[in-house]
Amino acid sequence: MTIIDRPSTDVAVIGGAPTGVKPSEALGVFKRPAASTSWRDWVVTVDHKKLGIMYGVTAFFFFIVGGVEALLIRLQLISPDGKVLNADQYNQMFTMHATTMVFLFVMPMAAAFANYFVPLQIGARDVAFPRLNAFGFWCFLFGGLFLNSSWFLGGGADGGWFMYAPNSSTLFSPSHGIDFWTLGLQITGIASLTGAINLIVTVLNMRAPGMKMMRMPIFTWMVLVTQFLLLFAIPVITVALFLLTFQRSFDATFFDVASGADPLLWQHLFWIFGHPEVYIMILPSFGIISEVIPVFSKKPLFGYPIVAMSGAAIGFVGWGVWAHHMFASGLGPVSVTVFSMATMAIAVPTGVKIVNWVMTMWGGKLSFTVPMLFAIALVVQFTIGGLSGVTHAVAPSDTQQTDTYYIVAHFHYVLFGGAVFGLFSGFYYWWPKMFRRQLSEGLGKWNFWLMLIGMNLTFGPMHILGLQGQPRRMMVWTEARAGEGLFNFGFWNRVASIGSFVLGIGVLLFLVNVIYTHKSKKVAISPLDPWDARTLEWMTHNPPQEHNFDTIPTVGHLDEFFHRKYETDASTHSVKQVHSAEEVMAELNSHPDEHIHMPSRSYWPILLALSLPVIGYGLIYNRMLMAVGAALVLLTMFGWSMEPSTSPDEDFDPPAPGEGGGHTKELSPLG
Amino acid sequence: MKKMIDQVGESMKTAGRWRNASKAAIAVSALTFVASCGRDAPQDTWQPAGPNAERIDNLQRPVFYVAGIVGVIVFAAVAWSMYRYRDRGQAIPEQTHGKPAVEIVLTVIPVLILLGVAIPTASTIFKLAETSDTEMTINVTGQQWWWEYDYPAVGSNIEQYGITAPIVTAGQLVIPENTKVLLRVTSRDVIHSYWIPKLNGKKDSVPGRVHLLRMEGSKPGIYAGQCTEFCGLSHAYMRMEAVVLARADYDKWVANQLEEYTVPEVGTDAAAGEALFIQQCSRCHQVNGLKNSDGSLNIAAPEQNLVSGAAPNLTNLMTRNTFAGASWDLLTPECRDNVWNASSADFGERYLAGVSTECLNQRDLREWLRNAPAKKPMYADPTKLTSTGGLYRGMPALGLTEDQINIIVAYLLERK
Repeated sequence: MTIIDRPSTDVAVIGGAPTGVKPSEALGVFKRPAASTSWRDWVVTVDHKKLGIMYGVTAFFFFIVGGVEALLIRLQLISPDGKVLNADQYNQMFTMHATTMVFLFVMPMAAAFANYFVPLQIGARDVAFPRLNAFGFWCFLFGGLFLNSSWFLGGGADGGWFMYAPNSSTLFSPSHGIDFWTLGLQITGIASLTGAINLIVTVLNMRAPGMKMMRMPIFTWMVLVTQFLLLFAIPVITVALFLLTFQRSFDATFFDVASGADPLLWQHLFWIFGHPEVYIMILPSFGIISEVIPVFSKKPLFGYPIVAMSGAAIGFVGWGVWAHHMFASGLGPVSVTVFSMATMAIAVPTGVKIVNWVMTMWGGKLSFTVPMLFAIALVVQFTIGGLSGVTHAVAPSDTQQTDTYYIVAHFHYVLFGGAVFGLFSGFYYWWPKMFRRQLSEGLGKWNFWLMLIGMNLTFGPMHILGLQGQPRRMMVWTEARAGEGLFNFGFWNRVASIGSFVLGIGVLLFLVNVIYTHKSKKVAISPLDPWDARTLEWMTHNPPQEHNFDTIPTVGHLDEFFHRKYETDASTHSVKQVHSAEEVMAELNSHPDEHIHMPSRSYWPILLALSLPVIGYGLIYNRMLMAVGAALVLLTMFGWSMEPSTSPDEDFDPPAPGEGGGHTKELSPLG
Repeated sequence: MKKMIDQVGESMKTAGRWRNASKAAIAVSALTFVASCGRDAPQDTWQPAGPNAERIDNLQRPVFYVAGIVGVIVFAAVAWSMYRYRDRGQAIPEQTHGKPAVEIVLTVIPVLILLGVAIPTASTIFKLAETSDTEMTINVTGQQWWWEYDYPAVGSNIEQYGITAPIVTAGQLVIPENTKVLLRVTSRDVIHSYWIPKLNGKKDSVPGRVHLLRMEGSKPGIYAGQCTEFCGLSHAYMRMEAVVLARADYDKWVANQLEEYTVPEVGTDAAAGEALFIQQCSRCHQVNGLKNSDGSLNIAAPEQNLVSGAAPNLTNLMTRNTFAGASWDLLTPECRDNVWNASSADFGERYLAGVSTECLNQRDLREWLRNAPAKKPMYADPTKLTSTGGLYRGMPALGLTEDQINIIVAYLLERK
């Protein structure tokens, strides 16, 4: 199994040595951008860490956009017959809230962490295809902006994020909102797909010597599973979106009942993508807290192979449960039974993870830092979301719950209480690594508790609302259906709305914390290893230099860094520290690698990504513009393909024949 | 070994405290839960009033309880480890990577629990899908944003229930008590979902498909529901009600629906209203038996005027309690309460009384006639009417004067 073993260097060497090829300067339209420290460097960078930060900042921006949309929804519902938004605005608001949070916040924020930390965790210098990585980020940014530009061009999409046919056809939604939606998601889909291929290749081929698959940090494992899910899920939604675009723009009839279509086709396509999507959103956060809990419990992750394999199991079974979103769609009892059983089955590997996190804490030495608090809150809140999930795996019960607020409560416990809390755990845990300063623990605790209280005040009552029979996606709720007594719809809607503002303030405190941490003179530079961490990414500078490691470590253990710091007495099993982090790093870097070279910057990724929205606007407004966009895409692709992955004027040492690549092996020729 | 004994001893000491705390926690959560169930929410999913909803309820209650217990165990384990293993300066723990026995046991337990849930789930799914013993059939059609009910004159509908001609109504489904009614659910435009929580779970109404949904009510009364599949602009205003009548009352209801059209007395407001109705309303709204001034039968043509191709049949409007997608009451609040809060024995009589002049909710009905889209959003952008080829999405503002509204109301009041 060569794939499990450390990758052979031959592959990289063959392509990585453009020795015979002397790239002509004349081929480039532009002079190749050189290293710089100004803002320009962020535009042309191919550094996975810079791109990770850019993913993070952009995703957080969209988190705020989606959050404002959510607050408007809750304002509308704070009292019966709300007047804050009209029906059209409300429908756009909940459609864009979900779309923004799923595609423009949770997924890219997970991509931010994956980009930044997977190469560091596996001891690589960058990802396999650095320029493709940059291209992915720019597709995400421009796709997201394109999608949101619909707000200023006649209104956002209004069909719900699930965009069921035939309500999505031009007859029922004549504005351009849905066109922006399909095309915008198509562009961000390219980001996800290229990112998935890039990270899969990176993880499979670029691990440090000795890092077998089963020695990989668990976050990297979960990211790997997520990328495989993306690799297979994104093409499905791509096809569905193309069908919808053709239906809306070119009078195709894929979902037109009068032409003999069955609108359930869309539902199947959407959920075959949409259910794996749920795991795409949650698994990276599972990975993050599977790093955080062991560090702050001073114990290895309990049942590491089981956690890794249950992640993979979720990845597989996740493909066989999509129709549980369709229990009321009229599939017939046999299909419903099968999908009901499959959904219960997936609860097992998910439950296993919860057991393993609790068992990791059990018998440990727990310190309740902010990242740990967020991680523990994830375990508890995800458990609530998982258990309510079991109640609607029971299909007959689901026919009472689906499309009510009970479901809204369920998936917000999973996605906010789970995925988002995991991401915040990651912010606090890795902040000193990325920015040299530790976020204030004091402000962080306020941040945590307000988010915890706000989240439970907002989404907890929705369980009750749903069981009392309040359907979702309703621009108003009415007294006539609210019930008697104090604890009716009115009470719980008010609690949820108030809770949402507490949650909003909690999130805002994170930004305050970031500003405080970086502006206040009182916050000291973080030590090299502030948390006494266990994995490779902490075995280099804060933040890491462009080439990540002065010396690529050779890995002998799971939790390599911990094993270099601590020794276990074989007879008493007691553990004692033998080296400080600084000593470990000094020893590692005593013989720094020579001839490190890094991939070169490029203009092409951003230019190619910029051409895509041009096609989008062209499709909506002017077919000639579409042709211009297509021409730009072709030209930039041509320019890119002519550009060698490494600039000839940069330091590059081709490996001597027979030497086996030396230190250039981490770099991909294909970039 | 000694370490373990110490641990057990330590936990014994704290156990008493924990027992009291957990008792308090259980009491508080039970109280919160009981208190949180608002009384008489009309769409409460935990108050079944028919055998199908009861089947679902019998299945889901134990699942909720087991899920609750599992949850409490997990939270207790988290809370315990947070308390017991917090950093108190103890030595760095042994670096154990897991205990296979523990992991296997903790995997097998959920598997067994889920098996226990799966078996009754499967059998309930098939029980709920049973249609072979159907006693009555009703066609239910959704469109933006109301439900049409068509009681076809076929088979047992004729033989058992005297439905000798099709009855077409809207807003309120009327079914006999303890009868296995089969709804054949479909749609004329987008996907909707039919849901009367106290009688059964929901079923989507999908254009081009007919889905079967069993409805049975075991107690006379009125049961609320709402469309639960997002269906466009006025999704929030697409409601419905199911009315369960005792058998004798049901026969009266059917007889009333099948009565001949009563022509308004000449010279009354209602007669003037009839003429105006023919001129303004009957393009879309059917009133069975209505004749044009030349004596020919008046046939509505909603398919030429509306996107969905259908508008509510108003033949016996005032036998229903609601209008405009069951979003507004035809009854004043007092009269409405009188019907909704009636005992099972009184319900039939009160419901069959229909809407009298004194009980008519004049305000909402007049507002609707004055400007329907202002009351219920139907056009996101009226200028986009061209995108439908000139068809309307719902009732347009007709520009009626107050006098015209008066006579239309007078005419409608006689439709029962």
